Amino acid sequence: MFIDILKLILAIPFLLVFPGAFFQLALFGWKGSKMTFFEKAVLAVPLSLIWVDLVILLLAKLGILIRGQVLVGSVLVFCLVCFAIFRYRFPSERQKTEEKDEQKLFDFSVWQTVFILLALALAVFIRVAYLSDTIIPSATDLGHHMYWSQTIVNTGHLPNYGVPDFIIGEHMIFAAVNLTSGVGLMTAMPVLLLLFFNIVGIFAMAILAGRVFKSNKIAAVAFFVAGTLYAINPPQGRYVSGGVVGNIIGDMLIPVALYFLFRALVEKNQIFAGLFLFSFVGLLYTHHLSAFIFIFSAAAILILFLILNFKNILGILENWLRTFAKPFPIAVLLLSAVYFLLIFTPSYFNPAAVGQATGEPTKITRIGYSLSQIDLGIGSAQLVLGGLGFLLAFLAFETKKLRYSLALGWFSVIFLMTWKPELLYVNIPSDRVSNYLFLPLTLLSAYALVRYFEIFSATASRFFSTVTLFVLLFFVITNGLSDSAGAFKTKNQFQEIMEVYHSGRYLASTLDTSKDTLLKDHVNIAADSWYKLFFMKDYKYPLSRGVLSRYIDPTKPRETCTRDMITEPESDAGRACFSRTGVNYIAVNAQMEGSIFEKYPDFSKVYMSDYISVFKRN
Amino acid sequence: MPSKIIIIAIVVLLIASFATLFVIEAKNHDYDYKKAWSVVYFENPRDESLDFAIENHEGESANYAYQIFSNDAKLIEGNIDIKAGATQKISPVLDGEKIKGTRVMIDVRYKDADYRIYKDLK
Repeated sequence: MFIDILKLILAIPFLLVFPGAFFQLALFGWKGSKMTFFEKAVLAVPLSLIWVDLVILLLAKLGILIRGQVLVGSVLVFCLVCFAIFRYRFPSERQKTEEKDEQKLFDFSVWQTVFILLALALAVFIRVAYLSDTIIPSATDLGHHMYWSQTIVNTGHLPNYGVPDFIIGEHMIFAAVNLTSGVGLMTAMPVLLLLFFNIVGIFAMAILAGRVFKSNKIAAVAFFVAGTLYAINPPQGRYVSGGVVGNIIGDMLIPVALYFLFRALVEKNQIFAGLFLFSFVGLLYTHHLSAFIFIFSAAAILILFLILNFKNILGILENWLRTFAKPFPIAVLLLSAVYFLLIFTPSYFNPAAVGQATGEPTKITRIGYSLSQIDLGIGSAQLVLGGLGFLLAFLAFETKKLRYSLALGWFSVIFLMTWKPELLYVNIPSDRVSNYLFLPLTLLSAYALVRYFEIFSATASRFFSTVTLFVLLFFVITNGLSDSAGAFKTKNQFQEIMEVYHSGRYLASTLDTSKDTLLKDHVNIAADSWYKLFFMKDYKYPLSRGVLSRYIDPTKPRETCTRDMITEPESDAGRACFSRTGVNYIAVNAQMEGSIFEKYPDFSKVYMSDYISVFKRN
Repeated sequence: MPSKIIIIAIVVLLIASFATLFVIEAKNHDYDYKKAWSVVYFENPRDESLDFAIENHEGESANYAYQIFSNDAKLIEGNIDIKAGATQKISPVLDGEKIKGTRVMIDVRYKDADYRIYKDLK
């Protein structure tokens, strides 16, 4: 066990820090003037993730088996190439020092450092406390994702999904960590990686806030807001535990892409322009919804800025074009085109998928959230604080500064996508969209807290302002943390999960999957999606009775056999389903369907624990 | 320098957190650690063999009482002690003619829990 921890702790920086760090070395040099150490350290992780994904895609295209040694060698070669570029581009690097103003931005004071450390300690502590109750792999989404990662590990090739629901970037990094460290996918490793991305996402929000508002105070407060106020509720701790891989990685990459876009446009810097395109490519290869949200966000920010500066629109567009029409962004664009067209095209890249996500909302779950639903989802405290930030940013609005368009445009567009999606022709589940509100709200909340203090500390009524601030903070902290506290589980599910694992191992070792077909119940069995990792036969093996509401869809007929074979196995419909699907084994909750199935004469019962019963159709 | 302290602190914090969560997972990823359950199953569910196994994950040595029925007729009755975490395989010797075409049920009891498995023989 301790060797595994050590291997994991070595594999994570090797794959998720070094490639990004060397890449930045090649771009900015050792003490480049454009980036502080703090920013480089944060950005090393997302850039590494994207590079590792791209390297794996290239290996797969070249027909090279994806194995541990190959990955280690490829990462080392990549780092060496970056180092060679660094030596070539920065021959007299040692004489250079970081420019003072760049250093200052993230040069926190002692009290700011203490505040950030406390905020981070609390953020990590809350997440760890929450995850300690759910750490055994059991989440449905994570089970599905890990099936594909295990497929990469077992075959050495990238999987052919056959459905647009899965995206390759959600699976490669888990396979890569497994292959380089040997730490299995049915351990804490996947959740720990997600936790890592989640924490890096907090840092990404902080550097974005710092750069946008040119304030280390706002950056410091952003740690507290993103890390503590949004600790557990979706898309944070719960999504880490639930294995919502795309969202977690997307929430890390969206602020990174915006950070580079902002700096590219404000500083007219081609390296940042290229890195923006590069991060966007990473987003496209990882999560379509996050990429979709990002496209809308970036478009809203830029359009708002152009509208507000309509008189200079041509000049602004020309400047932007000049920034992007330079060698580095063009090279990244070409590399991206080569990847998308020749190396690996994401499974959702087709007109049908785009058509499904745009247009008038087609389902009740996509028609938008009411304001009270948004309040419930985000949390009152977070919404009030973000609203205050919106108001203060609006009052301080300077049309010529992109920062205000970014803060207000970003929030406005995601809010509209959540509240009135039909206005933007968005046709995706509103609950999924609302999860992204926390990103601009973090920015606005951090701005609100700092500006509030600055405004009132400058006035005579300092006592009043301090009292008000503390009342506000008390409300925000208690309300924000109570949202998280409500998410903690009261029941330890570890025993049930281990019983599911035991039954999975039993069935995988005794059934002949070429002849036997298993149906398991997702409704009343926890961790059931992990069954497929014991078989590794096919993504759709074993069959599963899904959530019952999914069988009712007024827009199209759904298959109902997986439901009928459990709810009414003796009916004509049930019997017809058995002969059609070939199902001859059924795994159900022993206390619920298990006791009902005992009454059916057509079934033998071959396995029984406290939680799981397995029946065989005679 | 303070920004370096923050990076170093989060690295240390993450290593400690990862190690803690990894150990919690590894310890609990065990059929017996802080758990109390049993399981009874046929060694081979695919054929008509009646060999079965009892696994004791109750966290202590346990005495299991078992009975084997052919339809409603009791054929065998017995008790067996199984150590904590151990598996006991049992191969009942039954008259093939007597049980032909019947439902053979194995009923295993431990304290209040009742585990029943059965096969319908041809």
